[in-house]
Amino acid sequence: MTAPTNQASSTHEAVSQRVPLWRDAVVVKWTAQVATLVLVLASLWFLATQAGDNLTARNINIGFDFLERPPDIQLSEGIDTHPATGGRALWVGMVNTLRMAIVGIVFATLLGVVVGLARLSNNWLIRRLATIWVETLRNIPLLVQIIFYFSVLAVLPRVDMDTGPINGWLHISNKGLAMPRVFIADGFYQWATVMLVGGLAAHYVRRRRVDLHNESGANTSPVLWSLGTLAVFGMVGLFIHPLFGFIEPIMGAVASLLDSLPILLPQVLLSATAVLLAGRWIREFLAGRRSAVGHLALSDDDYFRIIFTAIAALMAVTVAIYWTGLSSWILNSGSDLFRVIETKFNVDGAARPFDAMRPDIVKPGKFANYGINGLTMTVGFAAVFFGVVFYTSAFIGEIVRGGILAVPKGQTEAASAVGLHRSQSLRHIILPQAIRVILPPLGNQYLNLTKNTSLAIAVGYSDIVQVGQTVYNQTGKTLPVVAIWMLFYLATSLTISVVVNYYNVRMKLVER
Amino acid sequence: MSEFAGAGAEIGSFYPMPRPDASPPVEEHLPPREWLKKNLFSNVFNSALTVAAGLLIIVMLRGLLGFIFNPLRQWNATAVNLRLLMTHAYPADQYLRVWFSVAAFLILTGLSIAVWRAGSRVPVPDVGKRVTALGVFVTLSALLAPFSGSARLSWLAVAVFLLASGLSVSRTSKDRSVSSLSLLVGVCGLAALSLWVIPYGHHSFVSDRTPKILAEPGTVDLTTKLPWTIMLLIAVAAYGVGLLLRDRIPAKVARTSLVLAWILTPILLLFLVLRDPDFDMGHVLSTDIPIFLVFAVLGSALLFWLTNPETGEVGRIVAVTVLFLAFGSFLMPMRMVIRIFMLLLAIFSLAGPTFSGDRRTRHNYVAIWTGTAVFVSWLITAINTPSTAPVPGQFFLGGFSMTLMVAFFTLLVSFPLGVMLALARTSNMPIFRLLATWFIEFVRGVPLITILIFFSVMVPLFLPDGMDLSEVAAVTIGYALFASAYLAENVRGGIQSVTRGQHEAAEAVGMTTSQKTVFIVLPQALRVAIPPLVGQVIGTFKETSLLIIIGLFDLLFVAKAIIPNQTAFMGSTRENLMVISLIYWVISYSMSKASMRIEKRVGLGEQ
Amino acid sequence: MTDVTDVTETETGTDSGGAARSGRDLSSAKDMIVCEGVSKWYGDFQALEGVSATIKEQEVVVVLGPSGSGKSTWIRCINRLEEHQEGLIVVDGVELSNDLRNIEKVRSEVGMVFQQFNLFPHLKVRDNVSLAPIWVRKKSKAEAEEQAQALLELVGIPEQADKFPGQLSGGQQQRVAIARALAMEPKIMLFDEPTSALDPEMIKEVLDVMKNLALSGMTMMVVTHEMGFAKEVADRIIFMEEGQIVEVGTPEHFFTNPTEDRTKLFLSQILA
Repeated sequence: MTAPTNQASSTHEAVSQRVPLWRDAVVVKWTAQVATLVLVLASLWFLATQAGDNLTARNINIGFDFLERPPDIQLSEGIDTHPATGGRALWVGMVNTLRMAIVGIVFATLLGVVVGLARLSNNWLIRRLATIWVETLRNIPLLVQIIFYFSVLAVLPRVDMDTGPINGWLHISNKGLAMPRVFIADGFYQWATVMLVGGLAAHYVRRRRVDLHNESGANTSPVLWSLGTLAVFGMVGLFIHPLFGFIEPIMGAVASLLDSLPILLPQVLLSATAVLLAGRWIREFLAGRRSAVGHLALSDDDYFRIIFTAIAALMAVTVAIYWTGLSSWILNSGSDLFRVIETKFNVDGAARPFDAMRPDIVKPGKFANYGINGLTMTVGFAAVFFGVVFYTSAFIGEIVRGGILAVPKGQTEAASAVGLHRSQSLRHIILPQAIRVILPPLGNQYLNLTKNTSLAIAVGYSDIVQVGQTVYNQTGKTLPVVAIWMLFYLATSLTISVVVNYYNVRMKLVER
Repeated sequence: MSEFAGAGAEIGSFYPMPRPDASPPVEEHLPPREWLKKNLFSNVFNSALTVAAGLLIIVMLRGLLGFIFNPLRQWNATAVNLRLLMTHAYPADQYLRVWFSVAAFLILTGLSIAVWRAGSRVPVPDVGKRVTALGVFVTLSALLAPFSGSARLSWLAVAVFLLASGLSVSRTSKDRSVSSLSLLVGVCGLAALSLWVIPYGHHSFVSDRTPKILAEPGTVDLTTKLPWTIMLLIAVAAYGVGLLLRDRIPAKVARTSLVLAWILTPILLLFLVLRDPDFDMGHVLSTDIPIFLVFAVLGSALLFWLTNPETGEVGRIVAVTVLFLAFGSFLMPMRMVIRIFMLLLAIFSLAGPTFSGDRRTRHNYVAIWTGTAVFVSWLITAINTPSTAPVPGQFFLGGFSMTLMVAFFTLLVSFPLGVMLALARTSNMPIFRLLATWFIEFVRGVPLITILIFFSVMVPLFLPDGMDLSEVAAVTIGYALFASAYLAENVRGGIQSVTRGQHEAAEAVGMTTSQKTVFIVLPQALRVAIPPLVGQVIGTFKETSLLIIIGLFDLLFVAKAIIPNQTAFMGSTRENLMVISLIYWVISYSMSKASMRIEKRVGLGEQ
Repeated sequence: MTDVTDVTETETGTDSGGAARSGRDLSSAKDMIVCEGVSKWYGDFQALEGVSATIKEQEVVVVLGPSGSGKSTWIRCINRLEEHQEGLIVVDGVELSNDLRNIEKVRSEVGMVFQQFNLFPHLKVRDNVSLAPIWVRKKSKAEAEEQAQALLELVGIPEQADKFPGQLSGGQQQRVAIARALAMEPKIMLFDEPTSALDPEMIKEVLDVMKNLALSGMTMMVVTHEMGFAKEVADRIIFMEEGQIVEVGTPEHFFTNPTEDRTKLFLSQILA
C-alpha cells in the first residue's frame, strides 16, 4: 500500500517522507477503534465490579445452584405443574413459551393472510371490515389487548358440569375452554416409524408422477398421489406397527456405545470442526480476494476479518478443551436421548398409536377445575393467544397486502394475456413474486410474536418470564434468571432468523 | 418514491406502510345502484360474502352496543377518576401547574401547525359524505342497541338530522373546499361547548353494585370545563400568532427554534413547573454556579481555539486527550456534575474541527456550548433538588402523564443513540461495526420486558456509592436502549439508501468523513427513514404500557389495578380498558396518518 | 517507465502540430499531476496496469478509450475516491498516500464532475455550491454565497439558485455540479464522462461551459466520448485500453495518423 520509494523523484518534495503517525489514515482509524473498544470494555468492567461489590455488600450470591434445588412452585399449566427443581420449572416455562409461539405463529399467519387478501377484496364491505380490523388492532398496545381479553374471559360463568354448549364435549367457563383431546399413546413411536417409511415412499411416488407428467404432459396430480400413499401407510401402519419393535435393542446399543466413549472424542471432534470451519472460511475468503495472476490485495478490514475468525476458532478450541463439562454433556445427553427412544419402543405389541379422551371436571378442594383428560385452553393461554394472534395478524395483513401490491400490474395483465385464469395467475404469477417481498418482514413479525409472548406475565400464563419471576422472587437470584431468559430468547430468535433466512435464500434462487 | 417504500419494506419496519402507489382502487362516482352492484354484488360469491359480512357486522355491533349500554356498566368510573388516569396522585391544589403544562404544549402545537403549514383543504362534498356515513352508523346503532322506545327515538332523531345535513352538504359543488383545521377547531369547539350545555354528569352511580342513576344535570365540574375551554382558545390564539410570525421570520429560524422548543419544553415543564424544585440558593451560589462558570469559560476558550481552521491536527489530539480525561474522571472521586461536564466538553471538542470556520461560526459554536452548559447545569441542579410538590408513591407523576413522560425521554435518549449505532454499523471501521452489530442484534433478540426487569432490578447494583437513580429513570434507560436498537435499524435503512455518488461527491469537494456524515448523509438518510421512524415512535408510545409489569403507575396500571379496586367501581376493568384503548388508539392512529402525509410531502417536494 | 519518456517526446515532438490550441508551449510549465506505474485491482480484475503520465499546468488532457478500459478508475484515483495499490500519484507536489493532511489538501485542490452529477438533493442549488467553501475552505457564509451566485452566473444559471436539484434539467444540474467544483477554487478539474448521462440537446450547454473553463487556463483532465470536444479543446489525448495507456498525442496526431493498431480500431468504430 505504500508507494515504491525507488520511483520517487527529487522534484516532488512530499514524496517518500514518512507520514507522521497522527496523520496516517490507517493509524488514526485503528487507534480510534481500539481506543473505543478499550473504553467500552473498561466501562463494562467498571460496572461489573460495581455490581460485584454491591452484591457482596448486600450478601447476594449469584450462583446457579437454585437450578438443582427443589423450588416451592406450582405452575398453572405446562408439561409438569409440580416441577421438582428450579431448572425443571424454567424448562416447563420454556416449553410453554415455545408452545405459545408456535401455535401463535401458525394462526397469526393464517389470519394475517386472510386479512391481507380481504384488504384487497373487490367487495367494499369486506375491504372496510379488514381495514377496521387492522387499524384498530395495531394502534392499541398489545398488553392492553391481552389484559382486556383476560378480563372478558374472567367473567365467564364458573366451571361446573353444566358449563358450555355441549356438555362433556366442549366446556367454556372462567377456567377456560376444554374439549376432547387426541393424544399419542404407547404405540405412537412405532407407528411414526411406519410413517417415516411412508414419507420416503410418498416422496418417491411424487417424483415418479412428476416425471410421468413431464414425459406425457398429462395431468398426473403428483401431490394427490403422494398424499394417498401417505394415507395408505398411515392406515396400514395402525395394524402392522409392532413390526418395528426391533428398533428397541438397536437404540439401547447406541446408547451404551455413547456411554463408553471417552470424553476426549467430542473434545477432539469439536476442536477439529472449529479449526476446519475457520480454515475453510479463511481459504475461501483469500481465494475471493486473489486476482487471476495471484495478486493479493487485502485491506485492513480484510485482515481484521481473518484475524477475528482465527481468534474465534481459537476460542472455540479452548472452550472445547478446557470445559470438559461440555463434552461430557454432549455424550450424556446423546446417550440419554437414545435411552429415551429405546423406552419409547419398549411397548406391548398391541398398543395403540393414538388415544382420545373427553374433558373432565374435578374438584380437589373448594373450587372445581378441569381435569387432565381433555384438551384445555386456560384463560391465561387464551388471553395471550388471542392477543398475539390478533395483534400480529394486523401487521401480517399489511405485509401481505404490500407484497401483493408490489407485483407490477403488468404481470397480472401479461398473465391474463396468455390466458391464465384469475386463480391461476394468483398462484403461478402473483404469489411467487409477492412472497419474495413478504418473507423478510414476515420473519420479523414472527420474531416479534415470539418476544411478545413474554407479556403472558401480565395474565399469569406460565411462560418462561412468569416462571422466572416466580423463581427469583423466591430465591433472590435475579441476575441468573435474567441471564437464562436472555439466552433462551436469543437462541429462539436466532433459530427463527436462520429458518426464515433459509427460505429467503431459497426463494431468491428459485426466482433466478 | 420507490426508494421510500423499498427502505420500509426491506427492513420490515415495525409499522409497515403501504406503498405510495398502493392506494385502494379509486372509487369513481357511480349511481348508488351501480355502485352496489359493482362493489357488493358483482357475482354470486361476492353477494354471499356481502350477506355474511353484513350479518357479522350486525351481530358484532349488537353485542358491542349491548355491552356498552348495559345498565351494569360503570362508564363513569373513568369520568370520575379522570384526574387519577391523567396524573395519578398529583396534588389537586397544584393543578394549575398541570394546566400550565397543557397550555404550553397547545401553544407549541398551534405555532407548529402554522409554521409547518399543516392541514389541507377538504372538498365540502367529502365532509358531507363523512357526516352521512356517521348518520348511517348512528341509525344502525339506534336500531340495534337495547334502548327503550323514547331513547331510541331521540337517537333516531339525531341520526335523521345527521343524514339530512350530510346529504344536503354532499350535493354542493366539488370545487368548494374547507380547511381541515377549521373543521378540527369546529369539532373541538362543539365538544367544549357541549361541556357547558349538555349535562354529561347525569349518569352518576352512588352505591357500589346496585346501579342507581342520579339526575344531576349540568354537573360537569367547573374545574373541567373552564380549563378545557381556555385551552382551546389558547391553541387557536397560538395558531393565529404563528400565522403572523410565519411571514415575519425566516422559515428556517422559526422551524429550528420550534424543534428546540419541542425538545426543551417537556424537560422544563417537568423539572421546573410540575416538580417545582426548592432550590437551595446557598448551594447553588457556592457550588453549582462556580462549577458552571469554570467549565463555561475554560470550555469556551478551548472550543474557540479548537474551531480555528489553523489549529490542525494538534486540535484533534487535544480533543482526544479531553475525552480520555473525561473517562478518567470516573475513576477519581469527584462530583458527578464535573464528570458530566467533562464528557460534554469532550464531545464538543471532538466535533470542533468538523465545524471550524470563520470568526462568526466559531462564536456560534462557543455560544451553543455555553447554552448547553447553562441548560445541563440547571437540569442537574434541578434533578438533585427536592420538590415542593411532594406526593405519595415512587414518583410525583403517574397515569397518562407518566406514559407520555417515559415515551418522551425514551425517544430523546434513543434517537441520538440510535443514529450513532446506525453510523457505527454502516461505517468502514470493523470494530465499531462489530460492537454496534452485537449490541443491536442482542437487544433485538430479547423481549423488552426482560430488559426492563433487568434495569429496574440491576441498575441500583451498577451504580457507585452515593449515587442513586429512581426506578423510573432506570426503566427509562432500559426503554431507551431497547428503542435505540430498533431506531438504529431504521436509520441504517436510510443510510444505505444514500447513493455512493453522494458519498463521492462530498469527498470530492474535500469534506472530512464527519462533515460528509453531518451535512450530506444524515439529512438524506433521516428523510428516507421518516415513515419507519414514526412507526418506531408509535411503537415506543404503545410499549410504555409495559410499565405496569414493573409496577410503575402508568395509564394502564391506573385503569387496570387502581380504579377497579375502588369500592364504588368494583369490576370496572373492561370499561376502563376500553376507555384507555381509545386514548392509545386516537394518538397512535393520528400519528400514523400524520406520518403518511409527511411522507407524501417529502416525496413530492424535494427529491 | 518508458511510457513517461514517450509522453514527453510525443508532446514536444508534435507541439507545433496546429491543433486547435496550437502554439502553447507547456514544456516549461509546472507538473500538476504525475502518475508513475499506477496499478489497481478489484478482486482478481486488474483495472489499472502501470499507468504513467504527467499533466502540466494549464494543460487540457482528454482520456479516450472503450468502456471498461480503466479511464474512470484512473481519474478517480487522482483525488483518491479510489485507492491505488501500486505506484505513485503526485498532485501539485503532494503525494497521495495514507497521510490524512495530504488527502484533504489534494481533494480541496482538485475539483471533480461526475457522470451522474451527484448533486445533493436535499440542498438548494445555492447551498450545493456554497456548502463546501463554508465548511472546508472555512469561508464566511455571506462570502461563500456571493461566490456561489457569481459561479452560477458563470455557468449561465443564476436564476435557479433557489431551486432544488430535482427541479432542474440534466444539463442545468451538470452545470451546477461544475459550479460546485469550481467553488473550491481548484487548481485542477477532473471530468468523469460529464455528458454521458445527458440528453443530446443538453450536451452542448455543458461542453460550452467546459470550453470556456479550458480557455481560462484551468488544468483539466476529461474522460469523455465527445470527439468534437477532444479535437477542439484538448492539448493532448491519452488513449487507454485494458487498464493501460496505449497511445498519447496531440489531437492532430491522434485523429489523423495514430500509430497503434488498437487506436486505429477504436477510432474506426467510433467515427464510422
